[in-house]
Amino acid sequence: MNCFEARQDFPAFWRRSLASERRAELLAHLKSCAKCDRAFRTFALTAPVLYSAVEPQSRTTARPIARDARRTAAATRAGTDARRWFAMCASVTVIAAASFAAYLSVTAPVESLTDEFADNETAVQLFEQDLPGSNNDFGG
Amino acid sequence: MAVRSDEELVAAALGGDTAAFSELAGRHRPRIERICQRFFSDPEIAHDIAQECFLRAYTALRTYRAEMPFSGWLRTIVVNLCYDELRRRRRRPEELVGDFSAPEVQWIQLVNQATPEDLVSAAEERREAHDLAHRLLDTLRPEDRMVLVLRDSEDLNVSEIARMLGWSEAKVKIRAFRARQALRKQAERMTAAAHSGKEP
Repeated sequence: MNCFEARQDFPAFWRRSLASERRAELLAHLKSCAKCDRAFRTFALTAPVLYSAVEPQSRTTARPIARDARRTAAATRAGTDARRWFAMCASVTVIAAASFAAYLSVTAPVESLTDEFADNETAVQLFEQDLPGSNNDFGG
Repeated sequence: MAVRSDEELVAAALGGDTAAFSELAGRHRPRIERICQRFFSDPEIAHDIAQECFLRAYTALRTYRAEMPFSGWLRTIVVNLCYDELRRRRRRPEELVGDFSAPEVQWIQLVNQATPEDLVSAAEERREAHDLAHRLLDTLRPEDRMVLVLRDSEDLNVSEIARMLGWSEAKVKIRAFRARQALRKQAERMTAAAHSGKEP
């Protein structure tokens, strides 16, 4: 058996479908050829997915726990990010509202009480009627 | 009662017999799910894609032509769904090889030391052998992985793959070559990292 033939037989060997004689030849070749032995070990790293008929049901605990931890960490990060985003939006809204109020307080026309009533005859009359009475209260 | 062929069941399903389609789905589901499991380690994803495959097959049943075996038609649907999903969830390779659990390190050491016969037996019992194989395959580009699985797991030839994916035969050959080259490199990195106890 040469190297090419040996490597062609890897999948059948992994699936246990190689004839016993051929199988013995392959094993003998792998013992004598370091390159093919290395190629078989590289092949064995992906063969469980590419060449197996079924997947083992028993799952080791190490990987799922690590994976779950990563998922939890990712979920926590996502939650923290959402809270940070909300806080940032709230801060921006408060600052914008305060700025707008400050702007209005500076730029809005401020009229005195006299200006307000200057053209209002009724108000002036009322003012003139009430004023003496008020003075009288204090005059007594 | 005689077992009805796929084509007879398709004809019955087209005539409104939904039980006939259920029988078809039950007949092909294990194989379709097995194809999905060669692409995705998460059984839920594999199950969902298989489910989607049967949904698409049901809605497109009128387009099925009996010149092609029904199983081949289903395989084309599921392979294209897997390809879309692989492209959608493409991750960066550097995230994938490294950070081994203790059973994974043991498996890598076993791969380097055990006899070929012992390796075959051990792989059947060890979940970590599957997990590591998936992580290695995850480092490949989606199109490279697609070609590798179809060639090695499904035993399809270059022209069949080219027809199924709508690619040229040259592209299939190039992808197969690159996939094997990349896989060999990643396997060497993985082995070295497991032995040194560091991330590659």
